[in-house]
Amino acid sequence: MLSYILRRILSTLPVMAIVALFVFSLLYIAPGDPAAVIAGDQASPADVERIRQNLGLDRPFLVQFGTWVWHILHGDLGTSIFTSLPVSALIAQRIEPTLSLMVITLILTILIAVPLGVVAAWKAGSWVDRTIMGFAVFGFSVPVFVVGYVLAYVFALEFEWLPVQGYTPLAQGFWPWLQNLILPSVALGCVYIALIARITRASMLEVLQQDYIRTARAKGLGQRSILFIHALKNAAVPIVTVIGIGIALLIGGAVVTESVFAIPGLGRLTIDAILRRDYPVIQGIVLLFSFTYVLVNLMVDVTYTLVDPRIRY
Amino acid sequence: MTVSTTRTLPVPPGLVIAPQLPDLLLPVKVRRGILGFLRNHPTVAIGGALLLLLVLVGVFAPYLGTVDPTALAPAKRTRAPSANFWFGTDLLGRDIYSRVLYGSRVSLTVGLSVAASASLTGLAIGLVSGFVRWADGILMRFMDGLMSIPPILLAVALMALTRGSVGNVILAITVAEIPRVSRLVRGVVLSLREQPYVDAAVASGTRTPMIILRHILPNTMASMLVQATYICASAMIVESILSFIGAGTPPTIPSWGNIMAEGRALWQVKPYIVFFPAAFLSVTVLAVNLLGDGLRDALDPRMAKGL
Repeated sequence: MLSYILRRILSTLPVMAIVALFVFSLLYIAPGDPAAVIAGDQASPADVERIRQNLGLDRPFLVQFGTWVWHILHGDLGTSIFTSLPVSALIAQRIEPTLSLMVITLILTILIAVPLGVVAAWKAGSWVDRTIMGFAVFGFSVPVFVVGYVLAYVFALEFEWLPVQGYTPLAQGFWPWLQNLILPSVALGCVYIALIARITRASMLEVLQQDYIRTARAKGLGQRSILFIHALKNAAVPIVTVIGIGIALLIGGAVVTESVFAIPGLGRLTIDAILRRDYPVIQGIVLLFSFTYVLVNLMVDVTYTLVDPRIRY
Repeated sequence: MTVSTTRTLPVPPGLVIAPQLPDLLLPVKVRRGILGFLRNHPTVAIGGALLLLLVLVGVFAPYLGTVDPTALAPAKRTRAPSANFWFGTDLLGRDIYSRVLYGSRVSLTVGLSVAASASLTGLAIGLVSGFVRWADGILMRFMDGLMSIPPILLAVALMALTRGSVGNVILAITVAEIPRVSRLVRGVVLSLREQPYVDAAVASGTRTPMIILRHILPNTMASMLVQATYICASAMIVESILSFIGAGTPPTIPSWGNIMAEGRALWQVKPYIVFFPAAFLSVTVLAVNLLGDGLRDALDPRMAKGL
């Protein structure tokens, strides 16, 4: 098992290297000359050339890549062209809202999607199942900003139950913080809930046909304990795996959700960076999100090997 | 016909009880021909019909009572929907009905082009990787790398490199979709290679290109078609998201994402500007997803079992 875990950890290294190479190439082939941008409009060609040499931009691709990786390993993600602030500082300023949004969405999704999927599998073929799966197709089809606007219109503008837009830091109290995040996380969670509900149903259907479920039923266990203890526990591996993979949906969706609900997070930073073609910032964000994504999925896999005795490699 | 399992619920015809067994509950009457197929699979019929309708709307947009979707009329700004302006007018006085109808062209073009190009490229990569051992490792590591960048971010990053145009949007979304298709095709190819009939073909001296053409390709078609519809749906959503955040179709072209982006500032007071493109987008994606689900159930029992 230890060797499997080690191999699994090692196998993420080439993936991360490829992500890094891709993200670096992004800046390398990006239109516009960073040296000219930094030098400004008044600089002479000699000045630009000097800055280029200072920045090492005249060196070969692989040397530049190596230097860049070296800086990243030391926590230096470069400097924003537009604001002249370190990218890591910009990200640090904006990370709390995004992280809050994602965590709330994740909790909400698991609380809603898993029971829905279990019930759908239990009542497979009935109108309950059809309704839940119908909603799942719907959840897949309605883009996140559409859900966001509808929710905000109904619950914030019409009923005035929740704030329309904005974000309150957690430091200013739990309830104000949560209040601002409810609508965005429901909107963001829609696709994710649909995905997890579907995979839960499929995985449960498979498990419910096993002999030990019949045994449990034969010895008179209650429906609830069969479903949630015997079946769900054994159906959990694919579900948790897809929860991990689905985080990609959260990351992509967060960019849009933040824009709909005016949340000053990383998504907002991304959009601003795109509009200003601030490549180092784009680079830093893509790198951060991708590495987080890879690491989360690595953790999911490793946890499983530790928790589930059936997994042996 | 009912079959009792552990539960005594009446089982609707066509429902798979035990996926590992052959389907005992064949539909009562197997209908033949295209019409019969559609009657057996109502989701395909509904999704297909909706999609066809939207394609027709896109193609015949100029003849459906529309005006020039880019014509400015500052005097008629932000009119509410009325008999003259069915969906109202936007900030610059442009007719939203016309813009939404013309916008279907962008969404459908992007969806279909991405579905076609990502499927074909993914098919090629998947086949190479399934048949050429030394290339497999390199290609799949590369695909793993691409796959670990969330698709929307990847598309956004690629769009940041280029100027916004429909062609570039298609290219960026295609690149983001390719890894998944390649993985899928590779999986199918690897399992097909172990089939006895492929062994038989190898034993009887069939050359590899012929094996791919005659035995492997036809068997990947069902999963590919299903996957292509899902890619089409996801591409339309990504296109609208890219346009919505200002990294997609140039603002001069009316696309649903662009109309929504322009209505964003005013959505609290003039929600209809956002509402109509949003509704069209959702219905279109829903139609494609229904079509995909129906095709999956009809063509690809292996995947139907999975999700």
